[in-house]
Amino acid sequence: MMQSPKSHKTQEKGLLSSCLKKAGPYAYVVPAMTIFAVFLFYPFFKTIYLSLFKTNKMGEAKLFYGLGNYKDLLTSQSFYNSLAVTFFFVVIVVAGSMFIGLLAAVLCNRAFPGIRIFSTCYALPMAIASSSAAMIFKIMLHPSIGIVNKLLGLNINWISDPKYALVCVALLTAWLNSGINFLYFSAGLSNIDESIYERASVDGANGWQKFWSLTLPGLSPIMFYTLVVNIIQAFQAFGQVKVLTQGGPGESTNLIVYSIYRDAFFNYRFGSAAAQSVLLFAMIMALTLVMFRIEKKGVSY
Amino acid sequence: MKKQTIALMTAAAMAAGSLAGCGSTGNSGAAPQNTAGSADTTAAGTNAEQAAPGTEAANGNAEGQTITFWHSMGGVNGEAIDYLVNKFNTENTLGIQVEAQYQGSYDDAINKLRSAQIGNMGADLVQIYDIGTRFMIDSGWVIPMQELIDADSWDVGQVEPNIAAYYTVGDKLYSMPFNSSTPILYYNKDMFEKAGITEVPDSLPAIAEAGDALLEKGGAGEVISLAIYGWFFEQFTCKQGQNYVDNGNGREEAATAVDFDQNGAGLKTLTAWKALADAGYAPNVGRGGDAGLADFSSGKSAMTLGSTASLKQILNDVNGKFEVGTAYFPKVSPDDKGGVSIGGGSLWALNNENPDKEKAVWEFVKFLVSAESQAYWNAQTGYFPVTTAAHEEPVFKENIEKYPQFMTAIDQLHDSTPESAGALLSVCPEARQIVETEIENMLNGGQTPEDSVKKIAESINRSIEDYNLLNE
Repeated sequence: MMQSPKSHKTQEKGLLSSCLKKAGPYAYVVPAMTIFAVFLFYPFFKTIYLSLFKTNKMGEAKLFYGLGNYKDLLTSQSFYNSLAVTFFFVVIVVAGSMFIGLLAAVLCNRAFPGIRIFSTCYALPMAIASSSAAMIFKIMLHPSIGIVNKLLGLNINWISDPKYALVCVALLTAWLNSGINFLYFSAGLSNIDESIYERASVDGANGWQKFWSLTLPGLSPIMFYTLVVNIIQAFQAFGQVKVLTQGGPGESTNLIVYSIYRDAFFNYRFGSAAAQSVLLFAMIMALTLVMFRIEKKGVSY
Repeated sequence: MKKQTIALMTAAAMAAGSLAGCGSTGNSGAAPQNTAGSADTTAAGTNAEQAAPGTEAANGNAEGQTITFWHSMGGVNGEAIDYLVNKFNTENTLGIQVEAQYQGSYDDAINKLRSAQIGNMGADLVQIYDIGTRFMIDSGWVIPMQELIDADSWDVGQVEPNIAAYYTVGDKLYSMPFNSSTPILYYNKDMFEKAGITEVPDSLPAIAEAGDALLEKGGAGEVISLAIYGWFFEQFTCKQGQNYVDNGNGREEAATAVDFDQNGAGLKTLTAWKALADAGYAPNVGRGGDAGLADFSSGKSAMTLGSTASLKQILNDVNGKFEVGTAYFPKVSPDDKGGVSIGGGSLWALNNENPDKEKAVWEFVKFLVSAESQAYWNAQTGYFPVTTAAHEEPVFKENIEKYPQFMTAIDQLHDSTPESAGALLSVCPEARQIVETEIENMLNGGQTPEDSVKKIAESINRSIEDYNLLNE
């Protein structure tokens, strides 16, 4: 922690000044803590509080329900479905977005004419709002007027068929998230010392070996960070689902965040929504802890 | 080590962010104020009744007031609203200024209203969808439109009786109908001609009968693009002359359970729906009111179901490629005797404890439902005129002459009865989602109509029970 500067007379050890000295550091933290308290801690505890109640249509806690909301969730088929859907979604999104980001970053990691255009293209998804992208995809994926079916010569009802809907939403999200990953990986690649590649060339390593033994380990710190952020981001995907499928068909794209939204703002069951939020929080927290355990083994700084 | 601890805390904070989004809305503490407010209204209402008739009856002075109007009309319809608001602002002699604010979809608007009312900074007049009616009545935030009407001795008979019926509860018109629609059947006249079909199907089985001819001779890619939409399910119940929920369709008292599982209407609807789908005549085109329209406008499907409010959009999209026909919403079985109920939105006056503003709101509402405004509104959007006098306006007559399709909805509404006014259900938005989900499960996963009806009824009943328990 920071120490307040010792500019005043050090001989004077009055009670007051020593008190001030001790309080000093805390004063610096106050602005940040206030913001956290208002926007994080208060909502956090309020959510836990609400999750123990049944709420009326105004979202006011009306009837103490104890752990009933949690019990209802854990016995509800719909909740387990949401969990499974979310799991598959996160896997597809994280794998997809990291793969696209890495591929693009490696491709753009050398100088050639037009490199800036390519870099901009690969980074662009970062600048596109998820709901507007979803609107465009909705038209592209439309079974009779969409370009996807026209180009592929297929007649698939992409977002109304439970077999494809989740994959479509997940791939859209993967593409959207790939932009920021591209940036991270590009930054990571430029940090790797060029000279080790030269040495490897002298030793006769081919491109694949260089990628596998030099590039990937060199990227591992940034890779780890990207993985954590991507997983958390994937868990929170919402706009795409709202615009493209509204959780359907059936409940095949009813991601947990969408299910929270629907319970809270559509069905006015803030209690159940709060309970789902708490469970989601616990899951992301546990996952993050596990990942930091793994980090110690796999990441070389 | 230290670095890791910090990183861990950052990650935890990010994870907590996911949690924080939800709790903040559950603000409480404004309830007592609201109760006080509604008591006040009643008093004001009684005063007004005693003072009537007379121009200053609503014991308020509208002059120079600025009022806020929330609406949910985007696109072409939003432009029409803006035109009407501007017209009112420049033409009214009292110097009233209306600020129209687009609030997103109907769902968004009602959710924003809920948050705004907690913080007491809402609008003065708000457009709410049909299925929000029960919620608004129960909320205690509104001044029943009837009080403003009585204060001004306005003749409520000007409003189409079948439309007014929907918004009338306990002999009180709670909100002023503004944009009303019914669902109708759109069909491709060219395809019907080619297929040699002269009689437009008036029921779901009749659609199936016409199916093969349309596919083989008419050149249709699909017989009907039938969107999975909860509103259609409600309308099919109406068409059978049955109730959707108990307690007189939720009109005598708040509903306590659904009725379509008891009276058989739900099963009949889903059986006929599934038969159409199984025969390949009604493929799954997706969910929501607009899902079937693109297939129709692009010339793929021979028929579609949609709101009358989509008429203008469809005519624009088709753009003369083929002739668009309109017909009554189909019955479930050929001998059904029921009608259709209306959908769309109505205008709710909010109680902000300011008689001057109330008066100004009323002036604006009166303007919006005037024959002239409604004729313009109808011609621009396809929502039908809520006041009968609008039929006499030249704008209306010209439009009907050019597009006779606009007449179908009006005739259909006139052929209906106030008894088919439709259900009032507080959890209606959720009920629609449940219905849509289970119909999807039926069409995609081979769930039987019997199981679907059972699941729908169970889920909705559970929500109703919860709602009634928590909101008295």
